[in-house]
Amino acid sequence: MKLASLIKKEFHRFFHDPRLIVTVVLPGILLYLIYSIMGSTINAESEPQTYKVYVSETTPAVAFIEACLGETGDGMTVLPLENEEAAKAEVESGEAAAILYFSENFGERGSSVRILYNAAEEASSSFYSLADAALQAYGMPFAVLPESVTSAEQIGIGIFAGLLPFLVVTFIFSSCMGVTIESVAGEKERGTLSTILATSAPRYQIALGKVVPLSCIAAIGAASSFLGVVLSLPKLMGMSVGDFAGAMSFGGYVLLFVLILSIVPLIISTITSVSAYAKTVKEATSYTSVIMILVMVISILGAFVGRMGDWVVCIPIINAVNTMGLLFEGQIVVWQSLVSAALNIAYTALLVLLMTKMLSSERIMFGK
Amino acid sequence: MADFFENEIVRAEGLKKTFSLSRKQQKLEKTTVSRKVAVDGLSFSAYRGEIYGLLGPNGAGKTTTLRILSTLIKADEGDAFIAGRSVKKEPGKVRDAIGFMTSELKLEKFFTPDYLFDFFGAMHGVPKQTLEKRKKELFGRFGIDRFQGVRVGDLSTGMLQKVSLVVAIVHDPEVVIFDEPTNGLDVLTAKVVTDFLLELKSMGKSILLSTHIFSLVEKLCDRVGVIIDGKMVAEGDLNALCGGGSLEDKFFEIYHGIKGEVV
Repeated sequence: MKLASLIKKEFHRFFHDPRLIVTVVLPGILLYLIYSIMGSTINAESEPQTYKVYVSETTPAVAFIEACLGETGDGMTVLPLENEEAAKAEVESGEAAAILYFSENFGERGSSVRILYNAAEEASSSFYSLADAALQAYGMPFAVLPESVTSAEQIGIGIFAGLLPFLVVTFIFSSCMGVTIESVAGEKERGTLSTILATSAPRYQIALGKVVPLSCIAAIGAASSFLGVVLSLPKLMGMSVGDFAGAMSFGGYVLLFVLILSIVPLIISTITSVSAYAKTVKEATSYTSVIMILVMVISILGAFVGRMGDWVVCIPIINAVNTMGLLFEGQIVVWQSLVSAALNIAYTALLVLLMTKMLSSERIMFGK
Repeated sequence: MADFFENEIVRAEGLKKTFSLSRKQQKLEKTTVSRKVAVDGLSFSAYRGEIYGLLGPNGAGKTTTLRILSTLIKADEGDAFIAGRSVKKEPGKVRDAIGFMTSELKLEKFFTPDYLFDFFGAMHGVPKQTLEKRKKELFGRFGIDRFQGVRVGDLSTGMLQKVSLVVAIVHDPEVVIFDEPTNGLDVLTAKVVTDFLLELKSMGKSILLSTHIFSLVEKLCDRVGVIIDGKMVAEGDLNALCGGGSLEDKFFEIYHGIKGEVV
């Protein structure tokens, strides 16, 4: 009954204060808008370009492509393919846009043109799209065979897989910071926490009465930020949301959800403990900012520590970041996910125990 | 349960509390000693239905004593019993037996008196039906009923003080402990508090308060204990202690006898 009242009080406090709701939900909305607008602007800006293209032989189709490019304001420098390896290297480096390989019987039924381009390069990708469209309109019975030196999806997913865990952890932390410092250090500073300590409510229930509802509230904020990023980043990078979302299976999403659910209370209980220790909100904010920087550094490191060994699942935050990276790449890492989540919950329990001790400490709660 | 004398509701037995001083505090107090004895072997008893006052100058150990009695801090030595329960061994039961009030304990301004009464009732484990009955009675008695839906932050200082007092006795405690009841209050709010304490006494509550204001003791207290440097230096019925004179004169006579100076 006491725990339920403590939890209800936190929810009541939060959901009846529009300012707090806005604080939690607004970052996600803003991120979505900013990233989407940035993506639209970047992708809309296309200056007229002259593409450097190697061809295995000069056919009328080449001139047709050049003419089509001319209609959009772009140009094309056509070079004969004399040194194939050097030309390929130019495509990979982005210096050349593509190599067009025409089959010997080009123009006849069953003939083909192979386009070797670099999906990771914007100019090369654009040339491929335009050349493909031109060749489709050429009206001859040949096949267009695209081939990229790198897969665009792979590149996009690779970037997401490296970037998203860091962003997820950072957004969760920001969300947790916003609600926790005010609720714990704020109450301590205003003297309202002492009023609760003067009642017969057990200290562990007071600690849980903070960690449980604040975790729920922070999870809403983190979900808002996370969705804002996931939905807008593909736009920013010129990919479809489906390309990225399709890289993960349903099981992957479940494991990701479990990981996020384990990080939120861990971060909340960390900030709760720091806030309980601090004398003022200002002091708590200072301590938490340091922890946030630490968590951000750890999150970036987490993307690279996979090769260090399985033992990294024992380190809080790094375990989640590392495992999330693998999940975003489309791998199903069941044991790493479950062990990481279980350990994060165990660390949370230890931090709740620490906070219970702090709530019982007269030096921390009532010291001058 | 401790073996209590008839009508004894609070008993302190040899309470001792020391605090370590930081370098900054040592500088402020102009001392090189790293520990300060705040309460030094304090013993006293308060009886059922009376108002007992702990009188002493600032830093005498009054607040520390009341914090020990309300289980917010622990004594280094000695023990105290509230309604027969040890503050050392049964702090939870003691908290349910007392209503502790001090200017340091605040109410969240975001909530209404109605919400806070229910919340603190739940914290003390008061059954819902009893809580509703008690709310109606206390809110009506102290004129809070008209403001029970108004946020605490929007209440007048006097009404806020009343709400704080009523919330502190939500669980119908046997003993009310009040640290410096009128400190920092304007005359109107101070009257609200003193009237409230007299009202509590008429309701049969036992009250233990600390103060350095002589007139407050003379107005409210049945018995008084004088604390200087953490020690109980005089105790007894107010009239008997003063011997027909004023409390102020008696206090400075005691103070001079101990410290050898008046100020």
